[in-house]
Amino acid sequence: MTTDWKTEVNKCSKCGKCQTVCPVFLETGDESTVARGRISLAEALRDKQIVYTDKLRDYVYTCKKCMRCRTVCPSDVDYEVIISALLRGVADEMGIPLLPKIVFRYILPRRILFDLMLKIGSKIQRFIPGKRRGQMRHLPLMFMGKRWIPVLAKKTALKKLRTTRKLKNPKMRVGLFTGCLINYIYVDIAESVVDVLNRMNIEVVIPQGQLCCGTPSSTMGDHKSTKKLAEVNKEVFESQNLDAIVSACATCTKSIKLDYLRTLGPSWQQMSDRIYDISEFIEKYCGDDYKTKPVDEKVTYHDPCHLMWVRGITDEPRNVLKKSADFVDMDMAGSCCGGGGIFTIIHYDLTLKMLERKVNSIERSGADTVATNCPGCIMQIADGFAGKDSKIKTTHSIQILQKALVNGNIDKSV
Amino acid sequence: MKLFKKTEKEINKYQKAFDELLMVLGKERVLSAIEDRICYSFDATKQKALPDIVVRPGSTTDVSNTLRIANKYEVPIYARGAGSGLTGGAVPLMGGIVFDLKNMDKIIEIRPDDFTATVEPGVVTKQLQDEVAKFDLFYPPDPSSAAFSTIGGNVAECAGGITGLKYGVTRDYILALEIVLPDGSVIKTGGRKLRGVVGYDLTRLFTGSEGTLGIFTKITVKLIPKPEKIRTLAAYFRDRDDAIDAADQIIDNNILPRTLEFLDYMTINAVRSYSGTDIDEDVKALLLVDIDGTDESISYEMPIIENACKGSGAFKTKISETGKERDAIWADRRSISPALYNIAPHKINEDICVPRSKIKEALQRIDRINDQQTIYIANFGHIGDGNIHVNIMYNNDPGQEELAERIVNRVMKEVVALGGSISGEHGIGNKKSQFMEFEIPPREYDIMKRFKNYFDPKGIMNPGKMFIR
Repeated sequence: MTTDWKTEVNKCSKCGKCQTVCPVFLETGDESTVARGRISLAEALRDKQIVYTDKLRDYVYTCKKCMRCRTVCPSDVDYEVIISALLRGVADEMGIPLLPKIVFRYILPRRILFDLMLKIGSKIQRFIPGKRRGQMRHLPLMFMGKRWIPVLAKKTALKKLRTTRKLKNPKMRVGLFTGCLINYIYVDIAESVVDVLNRMNIEVVIPQGQLCCGTPSSTMGDHKSTKKLAEVNKEVFESQNLDAIVSACATCTKSIKLDYLRTLGPSWQQMSDRIYDISEFIEKYCGDDYKTKPVDEKVTYHDPCHLMWVRGITDEPRNVLKKSADFVDMDMAGSCCGGGGIFTIIHYDLTLKMLERKVNSIERSGADTVATNCPGCIMQIADGFAGKDSKIKTTHSIQILQKALVNGNIDKSV
Repeated sequence: MKLFKKTEKEINKYQKAFDELLMVLGKERVLSAIEDRICYSFDATKQKALPDIVVRPGSTTDVSNTLRIANKYEVPIYARGAGSGLTGGAVPLMGGIVFDLKNMDKIIEIRPDDFTATVEPGVVTKQLQDEVAKFDLFYPPDPSSAAFSTIGGNVAECAGGITGLKYGVTRDYILALEIVLPDGSVIKTGGRKLRGVVGYDLTRLFTGSEGTLGIFTKITVKLIPKPEKIRTLAAYFRDRDDAIDAADQIIDNNILPRTLEFLDYMTINAVRSYSGTDIDEDVKALLLVDIDGTDESISYEMPIIENACKGSGAFKTKISETGKERDAIWADRRSISPALYNIAPHKINEDICVPRSKIKEALQRIDRINDQQTIYIANFGHIGDGNIHVNIMYNNDPGQEELAERIVNRVMKEVVALGGSISGEHGIGNKKSQFMEFEIPPREYDIMKRFKNYFDPKGIMNPGKMFIR
C-alpha cells in the first residue's frame, strides 16, 4: 500500500503532460507550479542538493492538491505520495506557522473548544459591516482579502441533528460524516442529507464524537494532527455498527475514504470500502427506487476536483440532478473553481482567475442554479457570484433532490 | 545533479551579465534561486544540467536585451518552450541562461482572409489549433505533445506528427519568422503571404535550427480549410509484413490518408498487458487509418481502404461511425506511452525515418539487431511517411543502459544505410549529435557549421547541441 516517494519520483518521465491540466500552471506558466517541477525539487531534496527554504515552501504550498495531474500522467506517477512527503518535509524541517499549529493540535481535536471558537467568531461576525446575498466580507483570523464568505451558523449540524430519527424497518443504517464546513456553516446541507435519506427509508446516524477529516492539517504537512484526527474518527465510526458512511463533501470523502488508508493503514480498508459520496450512495443503493417531481429550475453541475479527478465520480450527481430539475451541462464542468484550503489564502489572485473561468462557464450554461457536491466549491463559487451580484444560486445537489422529493410530496418512496 | 564547475574568471563574467540582466529586465523576469534553476534543468529526455539563471522574457525587446547581454559576456543561452523535447534541446548542458519563452504566449492575429495566423512562440500548439478551428481553419502539424508543447519549440525542432503523410510537418506551414539574433538584432524572414521566392529561404533555415541560430519571437503559420469530417479504420493483421503491404496498397490506390499509423506486436503486447485492450492474442500488427474530407469523399475512399487491408491479409477491420467510436479505436494508440513504461522504467524513443519502400527491411534489420531478445523494442508510428518510433525499453539492471545505447547506435547505422534519416521529427539535440555524421556528409556538415558560425560567432546559442565535431 505505502509507496515510497523517494523511488516514486524516478517514475516521472518529465514529459510535461501535467502542464495540460494543472489549474495553477494554466495561470502561471511557471515550471515551479506544476507537478513535473515539484517532482524535480523532490528529487533534489532526496539527493541532498537543496534544503528546505522559504521559496521551496512557497512552491510546495502552491499546489492545490486537486490531483488532476494524476489523471493524465503517462507514467502513472503517484504524485499524491510525493506532494504529501514534500508538505510533511516542510512541516518537519521548517515548522508550521503558530496559528494553524494551535488550530490543528489543540482546537480541531477538541470539539467543545472548536465549537467555542466558532461561536465567538459567529458573535463577532454580527458586527462586521457589509453583507451581500447572505454573504459577508471578512471572517476574523481565518481569511484575508476581499472574499464574500458565508456566515457561521448559530447552531452546528452536529447539535441540530443530535437525535437519530428512528425508522420502523430501515433499508440501511448509515453514518453521516459532516465535515467542518457543513457542520459550522452549511447546516442545511446536513439537514437535506438526513431528510433525503430518511425519505428513502435509510436511517442516518450522526456520531457526535466525529472531528475534522484532517485535510487542513495534512495540507500543511502536520502528520501528527492528521493521524490523531483520523484515529478518533475511526473509533467513533467503527463503534456505530453502520452499513455505510456518507459524506456530502468531496474533500472529506476523499480524505476519509482514501487518505486514511495511508494514515491508518490496512485496518481502515473495510470501512473505506463502505464510504460514499452522497450522490454515489443514492445511485448505488436507491438507484431507480425513488420518485421525484422535478423542480422548475434550470440546474447545472460543477465537478469538484476531489470527486471527479480523484474518484472519477461524475455521472452519479448528474443522474440525481436529471431526476430533480431541468439539468443542463456546462462546458469545462471539471475545471477547478479555485477553492480549497491554504491556497485560496496565499494565492487569492490566482484563485480569482480560476473562479472567473468557472463563473463564466456557469453563466454560459444559462442555468438558474449551479449545484455541486462540495461545500468548499459552494463557498468559492458563491463568492464569485456575490462579487458580481449575480442572480445565479449556488447549492448542493442533495438540496435540489430534496426539493424535488418535497415538491412531489414524496416520502419513503422506496 | 552536478553543479556546473566554472573557473573564477567565468563566474565573474557571468555575474556581470546577470547584474546587467537584472537591471534591464527586472527581478520578475530573472530567476536565480536554486529552486527555480532546478525546475528548469531538464526536458523530456530526463537529462539534467543546472542553469545559472532563468530568464522569462515577455516581449521581443526583452529577448533582444537578453541576447545582447548574453552575447557581450559570452554566456550560453538555452531557449525553452514547454520543455517537452525528446533530444535534450532545452537542457542547459553548459550552464548559463535558460530562456523560458512560455510567457510569450499571445495569439497576435488570425487572418482567415489570408489563411494565416501570427503567434508568439509560447503559444501551446493545441491552443493555436483550437483557435483557428473557430474560423473553420486548420493548422495540420500535430505532434503527440500538441496539447502541451509550444509552437516555438515545434518550429525549433521542426516537429512532425501523425498527420505528416497527407499534410507534411511544421516546416511546411511556417511562412514568416521574427528572429532575434545573438547580437540582439531583430530580423524578419518571409511574410504573411503564401508565396515568396526571393533570395535564400531563411525561414526554412531557421525552422529546425534547434535554438542554435537565434530565438523566434513571432511566428506566422499557414492555415488550410478545416476538413469537414474524419473517420477512422482499424485493421488487424496476423503478420507484420501484411500490414506494411496494406499501407502500400492504400497509397497505390491514390488515396492519401490523413494518418496511417502502425503498431507492431511488441507495442500491442505492452498495451494489452497495461490496459486490457480487446485486441486478440494473435494480432501481430495493427493499422490505424484516418481519412478526412466530405461525406462523399469519405464514402468513396473508406471501402477502398478497407478492401486494401483485407486484400493484404487483415482478418478484422473496425470503422468508426461517431467521434466516440473514433476515440475508442484510438485509445490503444494513446495508451502506448504508459503501457511501455509499464514494461520498463526507461525508454529511448527514436524517430527514424526511411523511404516508404524500405520500411519492411528496416524493421527486419531492427529485429536482427535485437535477435537475442535481450531488450524490449517496440516499434510503432507514422508508417505512411516511413517515420517509425523505435522504442528501446531498459531497466536499472547493470549494463542495460549501455546495451540500449549500443542498439540505438546500430539502428541509426542501418537506417542511414537504407537511405533513411536518424530523425523524422524530434531533432538532434545532444542525444543524437553523435549520429549526425552517419547521415550528413563532411562537406554538407561543414556548410551547416559555417551557417552556425555566421549567425552565432561566439557560440552562445544552445552549445553542446547538434554539432559536436
